[in-house]
Formats: sequence, C-alpha cells, structure tokens
Amino acid sequence: MAEGKVTWMSQAIPHQMEVDEEDVARRKEFLEFGADDAQALKSLAEIARKYAEPVIDEFYEHILASDETKSFFQDPKVLERVKRQQKEYFLRLTEGDYGPEYIANRLRIGTVHERIGLAPKWYLGMYAFYLRLVGKRLLEAFSADPKKAFSSFLSLLKIVFLDIGLAVDTYIHAREATMRKQQEAIRELSTPVLQIRERLLLLPIIGVIDTHRARLITDSVLRSIRATRAKVVVMDVTGVATIDSKVANHLIQTVIAAGLMGAQVIVTGLSSDVAQALVGLGLDLAKLNTAGDLQGGMEEAERLLGYRVVRDTDGATGGARPA
Amino acid sequence: MPVPIVKQGDVLVASMQEALTDRALLDLRDRLSDQVGRFRARAVIIDVTALDVLDSFATRTLRGIAHAARLRGARTVVVGIQPEVAFAMVQLGLTLDGIATALDLEEGLALVSQPRREGAGDGR
Amino acid sequence: MVGETRVAIEHEGDIVTARQKGRELAAAHGLSMTEQTLVATAISEIARNIVVYARRGEMVLGTVEDRGRRAVMVIARDEGPGIANPELAMREGYTTGNSLGMGLPGARRLMDEFELSSALGKGTIVTMKKWVR
Repeated sequence: MAEGKVTWMSQAIPHQMEVDEEDVARRKEFLEFGADDAQALKSLAEIARKYAEPVIDEFYEHILASDETKSFFQDPKVLERVKRQQKEYFLRLTEGDYGPEYIANRLRIGTVHERIGLAPKWYLGMYAFYLRLVGKRLLEAFSADPKKAFSSFLSLLKIVFLDIGLAVDTYIHAREATMRKQQEAIRELSTPVLQIRERLLLLPIIGVIDTHRARLITDSVLRSIRATRAKVVVMDVTGVATIDSKVANHLIQTVIAAGLMGAQVIVTGLSSDVAQALVGLGLDLAKLNTAGDLQGGMEEAERLLGYRVVRDTDGATGGARPA
Repeated sequence: MPVPIVKQGDVLVASMQEALTDRALLDLRDRLSDQVGRFRARAVIIDVTALDVLDSFATRTLRGIAHAARLRGARTVVVGIQPEVAFAMVQLGLTLDGIATALDLEEGLALVSQPRREGAGDGR
Repeated sequence: MVGETRVAIEHEGDIVTARQKGRELAAAHGLSMTEQTLVATAISEIARNIVVYARRGEMVLGTVEDRGRRAVMVIARDEGPGIANPELAMREGYTTGNSLGMGLPGARRLMDEFELSSALGKGTIVTMKKWVR
C-alpha cells in the first residue's frame, strides 16, 4: 500500500466480461492463427466482396425456412438491418485487421444474442451453414488450385472459431448477469412485509441473509412502516438458515432504523442456543426485543398496541357446530 | 430565515426545513432552550420530515437540543425521519440514544400526551 | 470522469450545496432514493471534514465508466494539515457518533469504494464511488 493511502472496495460488482489483449493473444495462439492466416484471408477479400450478397441471401433463406430461427427475424425491418450487419460481418472476416476493434465488434454479438434470446445451438448451426456456403464458393473460385482453396478455408475456420469463442463467452457472461438480476428480483419478492393489523407488521424472513439481502429487507421494512404507519413490527427469523454475528448485526441495524421511525421491533424465532452463542460472541442482544416464538411475539405486539384478543366460544366461526 | 417554533399547549414544535445551515441549527438549539424555560414546556417535538439527510453534525445538534431541554425538565421527541434517512443513519452508525422518536407529528403529539410508559422507540 | 461539477468547500453553506449536487447527480444516473441519500450523506460528512479540519478545499462530482458499468464518483481535495495516520483514521473506533472523530469509516460504509490518500502537511484526497446497479 502506498504511504499515506488506504483503499477499500466492496464485494464483486458484476462487470461486463473483460477480454483483454493478453486473452485475445492467447486465444489466437491456441487456434494457431497468425500473420500468414491474416494474409491468406486478406487475399480472399476480392472474392468475398463478389459473393457477399448471394451467400447472405442463401443464408437467410435457410434461417427463414427453419422454425427455430425464423421467429427472430419476422419484422422485415429487422431482417433488412440484420442482413446488412451480416454482410459487414462477412466482409470484415477478410479485411485483414484482427485487432482490438475487430474483437470489440465480435464481443457485442454475443451480448445481443443473449438479449434477444438466440441460443448458442442455433447460431452455431448458422455459423456451420455459413461455412459450408463459403467453402463451396472457395472451391469454385480456386477450381484450378484446390489446395489453395483448402488452406484458405482453414484460415477462415480459425478466424470464425475465434469469433465463435468470443460470442459464446459473452453470451454466457450476459446470461449470468441476467440470472443474477432475476435472483435479485426473487430475493425482493421473498421478503414480504405483511400488515397483520392496523399499525402491526409481520416480517417472516426465510432463507439465507447476506449483506445485500439484509439491506433490501431493512429498506423494505422502513418503507412499509411509513406506508402503513406501523408502530410494531414482528420480525420472525425461524426460517433463517444461519444466524451468525453478521446476520445478527443486520437484524440489530434493522431494529435501530425502525426505532428511528418510531416503530418497535419484536424478534421471534431466535432459538435460545443461537441467542446464547451470539451473546457469547459479545453481541448486545438487548436491542433485539426477543419474544420466543411467533405466537408469543404476536401476542406481545397486540398487547403493546392495546389490542385484547378474546376467543368467542359461542360463535359459529369455523370449528364444531354447537350440539 | 430561522426555524419556526410553534407552541401547542405546553409542547413546543419545531419543523426543520431542508438545507439548514449549521448556524441555523445551533440557533434553533438556543431558542428552544430559551423557550422551554420561558413557557415551562413539557416537551419539544422536532419535525425532520423535510430533511433528506441527517448527518453526524445534525445528529449531534439534535442530541444537544435534547440535552438542553432535559436540563429544563422537558423531553424531546424527534419525528419524521424518512426511511432512506433512517437507513443512512444506521449505516453511518449514528444513534439518537436517549431521544424518543415517532413516525410523524401526530404520533409525536400522541406520545407526549400519554403518561410516560414503555413505548415505541423510546431511545433504546 | 465525465460531467464534472466542481464545488468549492469553504464554509458550511457549501456542505449543503455539495450534497444537493451529489443527490442530483445520483438521481440523474438511476440510483435509488436510498442510494441517493447514502451518497448525499457521505458527501456531507466528507465536506464537513474539509470545513472543520482543512478550512478550504473542493469537491469534484461526476461519473465514471468501467467495462460497461457506471459509478457516481466524488473526489474531495484539501490542502489542510493532512492525516498523520490514515489507517488509524479509518479504523472502526473512530466513528462520529460518539467522538469528534473524522467520520471517515462512516462515510466509507455508505459507499461502494473509498480511497483515502493523506499525509501530514500534504493535504488529503478522498475518492469515493457508488456503482449503479
């Protein structure tokens, strides 16, 4: 650490996938893609320009004929634009420059595919179809020198596989980011704050509580207190997987914050073992007004709010009929 | 413009506005202290509903106000702390120990008109 | 940094200006109400340090992008006396709640990234970021 400097960073914030120059170099090395391949591809540029349109047209005929893929290109405007982009992609393969800009361009493709929901199996199939089309054209173009056609095709294979590798990796990365967002949405749903009576909220917490979720819970409780003008919140932690000192601190923070808004929190479902363990760790649990189980907590809450619950023994609310 | 202090019976109510300068906060403390004595107020309610930030200085000032009021026999209730502000205060580690809190002015007035008993947010 | 706003911090009125600008910036870039408040509060704490300990300084507010993600960034600079032991100042015991400490650990807790650079006689630079989720 530099003298006089202190740095602190939070836990991993999901970043967009990083593909640095070193990584690209390694990919090229593994594919054995080198300067002579770049040369070979560049010499194909003329041929590529000639066959770009017909290849693209045939390519999209196939896509539109297949149920699995045609749905992505229903809109004629979309189709037009995609065809144009395909042509650019096609021509770029043989431009001879495979540096940072080329790579950036390829990375975008995977992200787009994830966003529109085009699974790898389909666009891998599309790449295969495309390679076959081009292979045929190359044989035609180099009919006098089939060996050249083949070696050019091999160079093309290398660059296409570099592209596929990048596209698939970014697809996976984008997929993971989407899943993380979904998980977060689920997390938010999984901590409902329920209004049981006027001025009384019930917060049943189930599952694992990490810092992020704890903040969501606190946020949610505080908003509910304002919205429902709650004076008492029963926070039940029976369903919380592990209650260590970190979780306990989160709970304490929620209690203090609720207190700042004039609401009292009763924590229920904290087993005596766990409570003892936490006290043993030096935590001051006095702030957590614990009340045994949920029933006890509810009764305490009602008492605090001035409710008196009386059982109606003569009434016909459920239960056995009067004899 | 100084923070207005309204007298409701033997309760003084001060509503803090957005963006109070440090000087205004200290001035408020002095005026409240003076008025508690003059009117023999039983309680001081400080409404912070309009404040979007309660930092360490503001919190210290609130504690200072409560201390001055207590010296003159009045209790203090802070009302109207917004969810985001409560959240930030807790993250920052700020507490209002010894000062009662209530959701809003209505609740604050209800709190001070009750005989003092075990209740919500009593600075625990 | 993009979209820089500079706020001179010389007297306590500037603290409010800085945190209001901070809130506006945070809101403009999609941070939630709660996150806006965290940013504004952190700015308030750091700006106050400048006024109290350094008497004069400035805050620069803006955004940065890093591999597709954006963060609201605040850089607070002053030419004050500096902090002899930055690590000590950042230790948890030094909270503003009870002591007259500098509130640095507190401000740090409110933000995602926090960097303190200081030495005696050399002034202080605090850099903080909050990422847009």
